Amino acid sequence: MPELRQMGFFTDTTLCIGCKACEVACKQWNQLPDDGFSFTGMSYDNTGHLGASTWRHVAFVERETPLPGQGSPRDGAQAGAGAFAELRPLGQPPPTSLLGGNIAPSHIESPVPLGPTARALSKFSWLMMSDVCKHCERAGCLEACPTGAIMRTEFGSVYVQPDVCNGCGYCVSACPFGVIDRREDDGRAWKCTLCYDRLKGGMVPACAQACPTASIQFGEIDDLRARAAERVTQLRSRGVEDAYLYGESAASQPGTEGLHAFFLLADKPETYNLPPDPVVPTTKIVKSWGAMAAGVLSLAALALAAAAAPSRTRWTL
Amino acid sequence: MDPLNQAEARHDGRNIDPDIGLLAAEGSTQKARDATVHPARATYEEIAAAAREEEGTSYYGLPVLCEPVWNWMIPAYFFTGGLAGACAVLGGAVQAMGGRGTDLVRRCRLVAAGGSIVSAGLLIADLGRPSRFVNMLRVFRPSSPMNMGTWVLSGFGACSAASILPEVLAVRRGGRAGRLLATRRRSPRWIALAADRAGYGAAAFGLPLVGYTGVLLANTAVPVWQQTRHTLPVLFAFSGAVSAGALFDVWPPRRGSGIAHRFGLLARGAEVAASAALDREASTVPRVARPLRHGVSGAMLNTARAMLVGSLLSEILPLPRRAKRIASGTLALVGTALLRFGIVQAGRASARDPHATFEMQRAGRGAGEVVRRGDEPGAGMPALHGVGATGEESVQHGATP
Repeated sequence: MPELRQMGFFTDTTLCIGCKACEVACKQWNQLPDDGFSFTGMSYDNTGHLGASTWRHVAFVERETPLPGQGSPRDGAQAGAGAFAELRPLGQPPPTSLLGGNIAPSHIESPVPLGPTARALSKFSWLMMSDVCKHCERAGCLEACPTGAIMRTEFGSVYVQPDVCNGCGYCVSACPFGVIDRREDDGRAWKCTLCYDRLKGGMVPACAQACPTASIQFGEIDDLRARAAERVTQLRSRGVEDAYLYGESAASQPGTEGLHAFFLLADKPETYNLPPDPVVPTTKIVKSWGAMAAGVLSLAALALAAAAAPSRTRWTL
Repeated sequence: MDPLNQAEARHDGRNIDPDIGLLAAEGSTQKARDATVHPARATYEEIAAAAREEEGTSYYGLPVLCEPVWNWMIPAYFFTGGLAGACAVLGGAVQAMGGRGTDLVRRCRLVAAGGSIVSAGLLIADLGRPSRFVNMLRVFRPSSPMNMGTWVLSGFGACSAASILPEVLAVRRGGRAGRLLATRRRSPRWIALAADRAGYGAAAFGLPLVGYTGVLLANTAVPVWQQTRHTLPVLFAFSGAVSAGALFDVWPPRRGSGIAHRFGLLARGAEVAASAALDREASTVPRVARPLRHGVSGAMLNTARAMLVGSLLSEILPLPRRAKRIASGTLALVGTALLRFGIVQAGRASARDPHATFEMQRAGRGAGEVVRRGDEPGAGMPALHGVGATGEESVQHGATP
C-alpha cells in the first residue's frame, strides 16, 4: 500500500520571472511534441494556453499599475523597501534580484530628468504566472470521463490513463479551467500528470525542479498552505495589498473543493485568465436530470394522448 | 527547403534521435503528425481581432475554456438519437393504445432500430480512438451523462433491434427487402410477442435517449450550456418528438398517420414553449445568452425557430392536406436538425468568449449558486469515488480527511 500523501503545487506568481524553464522542463521530461510555432503578439507569451502537449504555460501580463517592489533604479520606480527586497522564504533558494534589496533611495534618483519612456515605465508592472493543471479536489474531468480513464492517484493528483482514454472529448468541455485538451492527431486527451512517474520515484516534478526562483513550490499540500498563508502576510506587510491565494482550500473555492495546484495572485483572477468562481459542472447536474425526467414524461403523455384520440379519427385521418 | 530548416525539420515534434534518446516518458506515446492541431479553432489573429471590441478584464481576450472538440457528427447524433428515441416512444404509446401491428408501429420500430445503428456509428466515428469505443462500457458512472447515455443507447439498440425481429425474419424467409415495411406474413406467435415486449423496452429506453443529450451538454463548463441546464434537456426532448411526428408527415403510414401528425403538432407547441423558456433561462446573464441570438449560432437558431413556427403556420395554408403535411414535415425536420447544430455552435462561441465565463461567475452563477443552496460546498451531488486502472472504485478520491 503506497503512502497516501496529498501532494501539490503552490505557484507564487510574485516570484515568477517569466523564464519558461518550467515549460521547457515539462516538455523535456515528458517528451512532449511541440504544438506548432506561432507568434501570438501577446507580450512574451507565445504559448497562449495550456493544451494537450503544453502542460505548463507562463502567462505574461503587462499592467499600467505599479506593483510595490517592481521596477529598477533606472526607471524611477520604488526599490529597496519593496516586496521583493529580501526573499529568502522558508528554506527556498534565494531569488535573483537586480536590486539586491539594499539600494538606498539616493542611489535610485535619476541624474537626468526622466524621458517619456522612463516616466511611462514607472507606471508599469509585470505579472507572470506559470499555469498548470489544478488537480482539483473534486475534478470536473474525472467526473465527466465516461471510460474511467481519468483517475485519482495516491498523491491526490488527477491522472489520465493514456491506454484507456478513447478520445471522446467530454473532459475537454467539462474542465472549468480549460486545461485538458484532445490532441487531434493523437486522438486522446492529455494534461499535466503532476509528474506521476517522478513522484513514484520519489522525485520532485520537473517544473518545480527547474524553477529558478521558487515560484513553483512542490510539497505536501498542508505544508504548502501554511507556507502560502505566511507569504501572503509577508507581501501585504510590504505593500502588496492585493496579494491573495487562489483556490488553496474548499472554503476559498467551493466549486472545486480546493485545488492541489493553487496560486498566489496579485490581481483579479481574470487578469491571469483564471475563472473567478469556477465550479465543477457535476455539482449542478441533479436538477438537470430532474428537468429531463419531467420533460420526457410529459413527452410520453403527449404520445399517449395523441394515440388515444377519438375513435372516428383513430386509424384513419 | 534551405539546409538549416531541413536540419531542424520536425519529425514528430520532439526532435529526439531514437539512436541516442529513449522515448519512454508519459507523453512519449503522444502521436504528433501535424502542427495545426485544431484547424477548426480560433487562431490568435481572430482572437486578437475579437478582443479589440471587448470590454472588461481578460487575458488578451483569449478563451478561458477549451472549445468543444466535437465535429458535426455529435449534433447529427443529437438529431438521429432524438428522432429514434421519440419514434420508439410514439410506437410504444400507439402499441399500448391498441395499435399493435399497424403500419405506424412497424415504421416507428424500424426508424428506432435504424436510428440507433446510425447514432452508434456517428458516436464511434467521432471518438479520437474509435477502436476503443467499448471502453465506454467498462464502468457505470452516474456522474457522467455520456456514460449514462452510452448505456441507454446500448439498451435502446438491443430493444429496438429485437422489436423488428418479425420484419427481419420475414425478409429472411424470402420476402424482398423492399417489402420490409409491407410484410403481412405472420411470424410465429412467440416472436411477435417478444417483439411487442421489446417495443415497450425500446420506448422505455427511448425516453431518456431523447432527453439525456441536453443533460450531457449542461454538464460542461461551457457557459451557455451550463446556464440553460434546466431547459435544454426539455427542449431537446420535445424537439426529438417534433422530428418524429414530422417524419411521418413526410412519409405517411397507411394507418395511423393522424396519430403521428397530432403527436408532432402537440410537440411543436411544447417545443416553442421550451425554446422560449431556454431563452429566458439563458438571458439572466446577457453575455451568456449572446450566442443564442448573435453570430453564426444565432443565425442558425433563429432559422430553426422560424422553421418551427413556419411548420405550424403551414397547417392553416389553403393547400391540399398532403402538400401541407409534406411542407410542414420538411420544415420541422430541417428545423429540429438545425436546432442541434445551432446549440452546439452556440456552445463553441460561448467557450471562445472569456467574458461569458467571467460575467456568469461574477453574477453568482458559478459555484455561488451551489453554495447558497446547500450549506456545505458541493452539496448538490455527492462526489463520486475515482475509478482505478482496473475499473474498480478507488478510495483515494476526495481524500483530504
